[in-house]
Amino acid sequence: MRPLMLQGHERAITQIKYNREGDLLFSVAKDATPNVWYTINGERLGSYGGHRGTVWAIDCNWDSTKVLTGSADLSSKLWDCETGVCLNTWETKSSVRSCNFSYCGNMINFTTDRQMKHEPRISVYDIREPGDSEPALSFVVDTKEMSKPMCSLWGALNEYLITGHDDGTLAHWDLKTGELLHSVRDHTHLIKDMQLSSDQMTLLTASKDKTAKLYEAATLNLLKNYKTDRPVNSAAMSPIRDHVILGGGQEAMEVTTTITKAGKFDARFFHLVFEQEFGRVKGHFGPINSVAFHPNGKSYSSGGEDGFVRMHEFDQAYFDFQLEC
Amino acid sequence: MPSEDKPIAWAAYAAENEKTSWADQVEEEETGGMDFPPSSEKVIGDIKTVIDYKLNKDDKKVKVIRKYKLEVKKTSKSVARRKLLKKFGLSKDDPSGPNKATTIISEEVMMQFMSNKEEELLQDQDDPTLSKFKHQLQYYMFFKNFKGTARDPSTEEPKKEEPEENAGAQSGAPGKYIPPSLRAGGSAAGSSMPSRGNRDEQATIRVTNLSEETKEPDLQELFKPFGPIQRIYLAKDKHTQQSKGFAFINFHNREDAAKAIKSVCGFGYDHLILNVEWAKPSTTN
Repeated sequence: MRPLMLQGHERAITQIKYNREGDLLFSVAKDATPNVWYTINGERLGSYGGHRGTVWAIDCNWDSTKVLTGSADLSSKLWDCETGVCLNTWETKSSVRSCNFSYCGNMINFTTDRQMKHEPRISVYDIREPGDSEPALSFVVDTKEMSKPMCSLWGALNEYLITGHDDGTLAHWDLKTGELLHSVRDHTHLIKDMQLSSDQMTLLTASKDKTAKLYEAATLNLLKNYKTDRPVNSAAMSPIRDHVILGGGQEAMEVTTTITKAGKFDARFFHLVFEQEFGRVKGHFGPINSVAFHPNGKSYSSGGEDGFVRMHEFDQAYFDFQLEC
Repeated sequence: MPSEDKPIAWAAYAAENEKTSWADQVEEEETGGMDFPPSSEKVIGDIKTVIDYKLNKDDKKVKVIRKYKLEVKKTSKSVARRKLLKKFGLSKDDPSGPNKATTIISEEVMMQFMSNKEEELLQDQDDPTLSKFKHQLQYYMFFKNFKGTARDPSTEEPKKEEPEENAGAQSGAPGKYIPPSLRAGGSAAGSSMPSRGNRDEQATIRVTNLSEETKEPDLQELFKPFGPIQRIYLAKDKHTQQSKGFAFINFHNREDAAKAIKSVCGFGYDHLILNVEWAKPSTTN
């Protein structure tokens, strides 16, 4: 395969995401400008200008009309997907680490860091209401119980919110009351990224403790464990095959002391059920920070610390491959 | 005149050439003074041919012929509508089609598949005293997977080597670690990373006189009985995807490769008689 290299960022990529139909790819980085790309040919459709700091997270609603970004410049912004116009800005007390649209696209949530004496906070807004209205729900995460949330997702039927924390905890929060429903702690280090399967039944977490784990989304039962020898920054599940991609690599700070060839910056493919690694794709010259499968399962993208997004279209060899057992 | 031929799948969108990007203009200025025939475009059926002229590294005029395959893709209405959106933000002034400054077609990468055996080998060793060996073995496996990227041209393959010797090193008993310096392939003293390009090539065979209809799975079937295969490369025509009549097969063990040569050479396959021999070490890098 010949990947397309998308060179729209000046700094390390923090997150990439496809829209529901898979024709657009959104990328955010530690520079201030989120980008949107056509997946068909890697052409840049546009960029969303307005942030003044690292953008940690991006999400697009189901009909690809609005885009939500969360940034370290103490704000979360809502954009018109097709024109790049900023529709609303929510100011926060500390930097926004993750943000998501609900399944219906009417609600949004974002989580903020523990910073400058402010406790981490999870906020939920209804975007149908005027921009300056009060949050539908906003509560502080008790840092005596668990540390700050690093990533968040909406649970089934908008009943609960799933968060992954700095200390490896996974938690469910009631979206009516802000109450902690239950939490599990299988990871020993921070959870860098979480993704739901295409049917929203299972949840894949990627952690700095060098593993990725598969959970049942509704109960947080641990199902599978994928072990590697390096921190995992992001993990994605194939929508069509029982495959999992893990992206990672050494810490950014250790990169300069290692040669690229031994750098282990390749995307690693595991079998979902057998937890067995069966393939690797190299290409990045820094750790991979975010991976995402195209919704049709025929291509995937990865964004790295090197500032590039690489879009890979799978060869026939990938589809022909069967794991021998 | 040398010519390049680059079929690119997504070129359908690179088609419109209303405005040239600034990168082109810079190039034009650099080559200023020379008279180049204007670039031309022709569309015949679903093949679009673009002919450009430019200076190459040695200051020679080169004619560059690019062939694009035009594809029509059916999508949902909303996707089709979005494809026609006006660009905004930093891409506001870009012409339609990918901008060379932001979208680059990178080099070919292959997905490297790993066989079961390698994994088991690693997992069998849970003894803590062996963890160091395990680590080194992991490295060894890892480097083994780096095919062709870092080939050391100075270490040519020693032709006289006994095939059995090398095979023994590769399939050595799981618990037994053989330091690189003692491995058969690494006897060329001095180099810290002993000829890993060679190791791959040593178990590689070249199959010629294949019929055009041959597919990779056919080869897999044909050569599987001889031992675990690392990689199969079947040369194919860019446009028709038909076999060009030769293939390379990397075995894990040289022994197996030797067996395969002995048995398949002269074997009738698809009305043709196969010719199988050791692959010559590539001299291109």
